[in-house]
Amino acid sequence: MVRDKLIFCYLMVAPAMLFTIALGIYPMLYSMWMSFVEYDLLRIQQYGTPFVGFDNYVEVFSDPRFVQTVSNTVLFTILAVSGTLGISLLLSQVLNAKFPGRAIVRMAVCVPWFVPPAVASAIWMWLLNTERSPINYLLRDWGVIDSNIRFLTDSTQYGPFSIPMLAIVAVRVWNGLPFAVIFILAALQSIPASLYEAAEVDGATIMQKFWHVTLPSLKPVLLILLTLLIIGGLGSFEINYIMTGGGPNNLTNIMAVYSYQQAFSFFRFDLASAASGVILILTGFVCVYYIRAQFKGTQQ
Amino acid sequence: MSATTEATGARSGSWKRLFDLRSGDTLTKVIVILITIGTLIYILLPVFWMLKSSFQANVEIRALPPKWLPENPTLQPYENAGRLIPLWRYVWNSLFVSVTASVIATLLACSAAYVLGRFRFPGATLILALILLTNLIPAITRTFPIYFFIQDLGLLNSYGGLILSYVGFSLPFAVLLLRGYFESSAPPELEEAALVDGCNHFTAFLRVILPVSLPGIAAVAIFTFLNAWNDFLWASLLLNQGEMKTIQVGIGDFAQEGGGPQYVNAFMAACVVATIPALIVFLFVQRWLVGGLTAGSVKT
Repeated sequence: MVRDKLIFCYLMVAPAMLFTIALGIYPMLYSMWMSFVEYDLLRIQQYGTPFVGFDNYVEVFSDPRFVQTVSNTVLFTILAVSGTLGISLLLSQVLNAKFPGRAIVRMAVCVPWFVPPAVASAIWMWLLNTERSPINYLLRDWGVIDSNIRFLTDSTQYGPFSIPMLAIVAVRVWNGLPFAVIFILAALQSIPASLYEAAEVDGATIMQKFWHVTLPSLKPVLLILLTLLIIGGLGSFEINYIMTGGGPNNLTNIMAVYSYQQAFSFFRFDLASAASGVILILTGFVCVYYIRAQFKGTQQ
Repeated sequence: MSATTEATGARSGSWKRLFDLRSGDTLTKVIVILITIGTLIYILLPVFWMLKSSFQANVEIRALPPKWLPENPTLQPYENAGRLIPLWRYVWNSLFVSVTASVIATLLACSAAYVLGRFRFPGATLILALILLTNLIPAITRTFPIYFFIQDLGLLNSYGGLILSYVGFSLPFAVLLLRGYFESSAPPELEEAALVDGCNHFTAFLRVILPVSLPGIAAVAIFTFLNAWNDFLWASLLLNQGEMKTIQVGIGDFAQEGGGPQYVNAFMAACVVATIPALIVFLFVQRWLVGGLTAGSVKT
């Protein structure tokens, strides 16, 4: 009986495990290996894949474009994550309150979820096109600006910021917002109403209720969401790749795009793997936290 | 849930309640409402722009000042889109690949999630840890090895290769979500009763556990479908030739060729077509999706 049960368990889990190993674990290890050998598609026939230690990492980090890409990625992630968290916290509060037309607003908020990133990038490219942008037109019409903002091509830097970077972040936030809102909304609905009633008896204002009841209750969920958003931000690819291809002047280039270009434009899969290895390491720090939180959750 | 239990009496009084509180709260509310309206414009503008452009003539789209509503609505752009790229064929490709990947991933995830959630057996924790880990590996890190892996299998530029990678990509998240869902929807007593009634573990799973978990399973199926439908990165690498492309790759190519300023409306029409299937799916299963997602993921 016990043996039957064991066989049943392993049989049930085997197919999923096979996929996880073949398309998750094995590729990750293979990619790590690639980052420590020479894997130049143009030379591989002749020279094979000799072990080169940390040379690939040294090479990418001595490329000023890559160093800039790393700082871009960190900046991009911080901006996108804080933007998403801030707006989704607010929107989820609003959607949790009762007001006429809530169902419609809720549906409207969800819409970007179903706009594929490729499509989202394409539409925003048109909305942000310097000459034709309706946003530029409105701003000019209202007298806010004199000349068109070059949303995706202005290479002026304001400290670490630049207009194309902010524009790309706005698109990323736009696309990622619904998931965050639904995530928080679900958690909001599980906060017992008695907590709010108690706060109301004490005469708390909306802001006080938010700070002292809502935020503490949301903390575990917010931390999970934060990790997911950071991981997503560090590995983000489509929007930057389609909208700017990393330009102008490398200002919106992020690590995943750099890695992709190394591999499929220059056939340097070793450098590409080293670059993606850096993403993996950064993600790793965040993951350690996330996995600990998940396991704590299952043990309770 | 509270959306459905909302009393009609509370609904009519809610506008009044919005303003009859302390003055500090009124200020907070006004600010929140203003920010919400701004955010809603930010969320809906691109979608609206895409929709209205897909019914306009090119001259109208490019007109300054911008025309916010089509003056002579026309379906011509949709016909043009179908002539410029094999639009319907692309949509069909996408549907085929996404549905197949979703069905396979959901089946495998169900069986794995069930035993991982319900039984203790040697290696279960390790398997769970590996699945969690895979869920967190950035896509770009896995890209190159999977590309070579699919190439070695001889599945480059075939539907099979793309479907395999989507299954592998969605599976970890699906397993994690369903594991949480099974725990909450199917109490162990249910299964014990089935065993007493003469089921074995597998038939109990098939006839008792699966039917009561349908909402969660549907949520996972939709999630994996959307993952595949929205994907650009994998599709652009693994299946980028001729008529077999997915719609996202078709759109991406179209966008990078500049969208052809003379074909903006056709391009926007293609974008609408690429968005609509996911939106339809969402409208049908809205409640399930949110409910299933929350039961599984936010159980902490």
